[in-house]
This record gives sequence, C-alpha cells and structure tokens, in this order.
Amino acid sequence: MALESYKIIDADVHNEQDDSALLPYLPEPWRSRVAASGIGYAGSGYYSPIGVMKKDSIPPKGKAGSDPEFMVKQLVEGYNVDYVVLTGVVYNISTTHDPDFAAAICSAYNDFLIAEWLGKHKAFKGAMVVATQDPLLAAREIDRVGGHPDIVEVMISSAARSPLGQRHYHPIYEAAERNGLPVAIHPGAEGGGGSTAPTAAGYPARYIEWHTCLSQMFMAHLVSIVCEGVFVKFPRLKFVLVEGGIAWLPGLMWRLDKNYKALRASVPWLKQMPSQYIREHCYLTTQPIEEPDNPQHLIDLFNMIDAENILLYSSDYPHWDFDSPDPILRRLKPEARRKVFYDNAKQLYRL
Amino acid sequence: MGVHYVLEEGDIPEGSHKVVYVEGREIGVYFINGQYYAIHNYCPHQGAPICSGLVSGTNLPSDVYTYKYGRAGEIIRCPWHGWEFDLRTGKSLFSDKTRVRKYEVELSEGRIGIVLGSK
Repeated sequence: MALESYKIIDADVHNEQDDSALLPYLPEPWRSRVAASGIGYAGSGYYSPIGVMKKDSIPPKGKAGSDPEFMVKQLVEGYNVDYVVLTGVVYNISTTHDPDFAAAICSAYNDFLIAEWLGKHKAFKGAMVVATQDPLLAAREIDRVGGHPDIVEVMISSAARSPLGQRHYHPIYEAAERNGLPVAIHPGAEGGGGSTAPTAAGYPARYIEWHTCLSQMFMAHLVSIVCEGVFVKFPRLKFVLVEGGIAWLPGLMWRLDKNYKALRASVPWLKQMPSQYIREHCYLTTQPIEEPDNPQHLIDLFNMIDAENILLYSSDYPHWDFDSPDPILRRLKPEARRKVFYDNAKQLYRL
Repeated sequence: MGVHYVLEEGDIPEGSHKVVYVEGREIGVYFINGQYYAIHNYCPHQGAPICSGLVSGTNLPSDVYTYKYGRAGEIIRCPWHGWEFDLRTGKSLFSDKTRVRKYEVELSEGRIGIVLGSK
C-alpha cells in the first residue's frame, strides 16, 4: 500500500567526530589532556556482536556521522527529511568522574556543533549538550549557547548518578525553561563510570539484556521527574525521552495514577494525575520502534494513551537500529502519521 | 521471466559476491564453497540493501553456556539491524517464515543464469 507523501522531522540523528576535532574549541588545561590521551569516555562496556554503526553509513573518509555532506545525501535527501535534530554522542560524558572536565568537553562540543554543522544545511538543527555532574555549570552553559537560533533542545545522558527528577538537577531544568528549550534524555553509557547499574537488578551479562532494559532507566527517570514536581516548579518545561521505548508507557501511567490516589500526600505538590503531567510535558521518540507480530497491537497501545500527540519520529541514523521512515508505523491513520512524523516536532522545536 | 545470464563463471571469486540488475531488481549472486546462490538485495524487515552485509559463520543452536560456531561463509547479516539469513535457503535464523527472496541459479556453458519466475 502506497502511503501519501508526508513531511518528516527526524528527532534523533547522531553526528560524530574524532576527539581531535574538539581540540580547537578546548581551552587549557583540557586541550593538552585531550591531545595526549583523548577524551576517555566511560562507556557501558557492553559488547555488541553487530557493532553500533549502520554498515552502509560510513563515508569515504572518517567515521559514520562525521561528514555533513554525506549525511545530507544519504539521510536528508535520501529520505526527504525537512529537519534533523543533531544529537551527537557527547552526552555520554556524564558518566566520567571530573565535573570540570565533563563541562569543558560539552562546551567545546557545542561550539564545534555550531561552527561545523549548524548552518551547513538548512535541515540541520542542534541539541546542545550539558553534563549532569555539576548542574550549576550546566545551567551556565545553557545560558551561554542556548539562545543560538539553530539550537532546539538541551541533551543530557540518561546514564546518571541518581534519578533525574531530584533537586540536585533542577538548575538544568530552570535554565532550559528560561531559554525556551526542551530537555532531552538519551541512553548509551548506562552502567559506565560513575553512573548507576544499567538495570534495576544490577549488571546483566550481555548487550541484548542491557539494550532491552534501557527502558527501565527511562521509567525510573520519568517517575522521578513527575513525582519530584519538576513540571510544577517549571511549568513551561518540556521533556523528550529519546530512544527509551514507548510500549511501557501505558502501564506506567496506570500504575503511577493508581498509587497517586493512595499516596498523594507524599507528593502534595502534584495538582493533577501524574499521567496528566506526562501527557502535557513529555514527548517520546519512536526509534527503536517496538515490533509486535501483529503491528496493530502497537497502534492499540498508542490509542490507549493518545500517543499520537506525544510521539516524535526518529531514525537514530547512523546507528545499527536505524528506523527508516517508510516501513514503520504504516498502520497509523494519516492524521496521526502527520503528527508523529512532522507536526509534533515542528511545534515542540518551533520549526 | 525465464533465465537471465548475467555473469560468467570466474567473475565471482570463491567467498565473494556481485550485485546484478535483472528486470529492475537488484540481485546479489554469491559463490560459496563452490556453489552459487542468488538473493534479492532487499531485507524483508525494513528494505535495507542486505547484500552490503557481512557474510560469515555464526553461533549455531547449542546447550546453555556452550557455543558452537559453524556455517562459515553461509550466513548473511543485514547491515542495518543485524538479522541473520541462511544464504542457501533465504530463511532467517530466527523464523522459517521470515526470509529474503531467493532465486534459483542455473549454469550453462560457463555462464551464470538467474531464474526469474518459471523458466
């Protein structure tokens, strides 16, 4: 069945660069350190037998995601995408140990992103990145570059030292709201460095388990963000849950609302059902889309929570679990499809 | 329809493949352990160009905590999502129902032919 043509905004596209590409944007003492030893991310340590990169996305020179022209040709023109949100990978710096170093890497990356990507093509929009080790430094960085016209959100890592709703992090949210930017969280380094264990039960043995359980991390952060009153303190703040799955959301909303009815007094600052805060303040990106044997089952889940208003299409280009726009979500009604692939992101990112 | 002679024996070194175009279709022709196999360059999952994927062996079904590597050169892995397919049958390794389109290969007088539909 041919689909009617529709416009596309891709909410999660990973541009990548060699560590040395950030050197011109790093002040001392960090420049010498990175020149001698690299950035030294603290990754999850989980091994994927198929690699993280989509094998046909490697440009003639450099690594996948490193060449703006190649990305335009393969993704923007290849799939007729109006805008891509460049999310990088530098959010992973939040699992390292030195807050000053992490903040310096983020600043260098943001300047690199603005100088070497944004403005190279009208489709390119940027997620600025901040590290969560020191939220006050993060807030200062948001005020420094958040006003750039092509910066559309603030990205942080979902691999963190504690649930992301806690008051320690609030300066980040306050600054994002002040600058009119949504905050996005993205997985990748779960279990690495100073972050918590990657699953609620501890450290699984394999990548397949680690990757499947990333949704747990998102559930824990989302419950924390709602219950800690982040959306009460910052009523204009929006959150984007990137690459954490979707199908778990109806059950979480039901369970949290049920508990609220009995346990409301422990979170008296919440003025409406917890699920209502999620509906009004949170967006979820689609990739990696869940693929039940009967595709209608996923649409049924969406309908349970009116998901068409809070989903943003994302491809995760150029990573291995890339979702091409055509084959996924074909059962969505045309109006819902337009919202998920374009309208919701256009409104959220003011494009 | 019919047999389309697209290559000659010797065009594809042992263990490698070539992608050819037959009636608007991209078809990968593989020469593995002395046998030719042909598959559609289109993954049934999301339409990736599967013939740019790695051909290797894999871990075959085994007992818990044991690993039995085998089928070297017979398994193709989609370059996008890593799904594994048996080049000899086109079937995926996780379900007989999921398969990449496979074509019969016919050799005649040193030429390699792809059979489309019935001959």
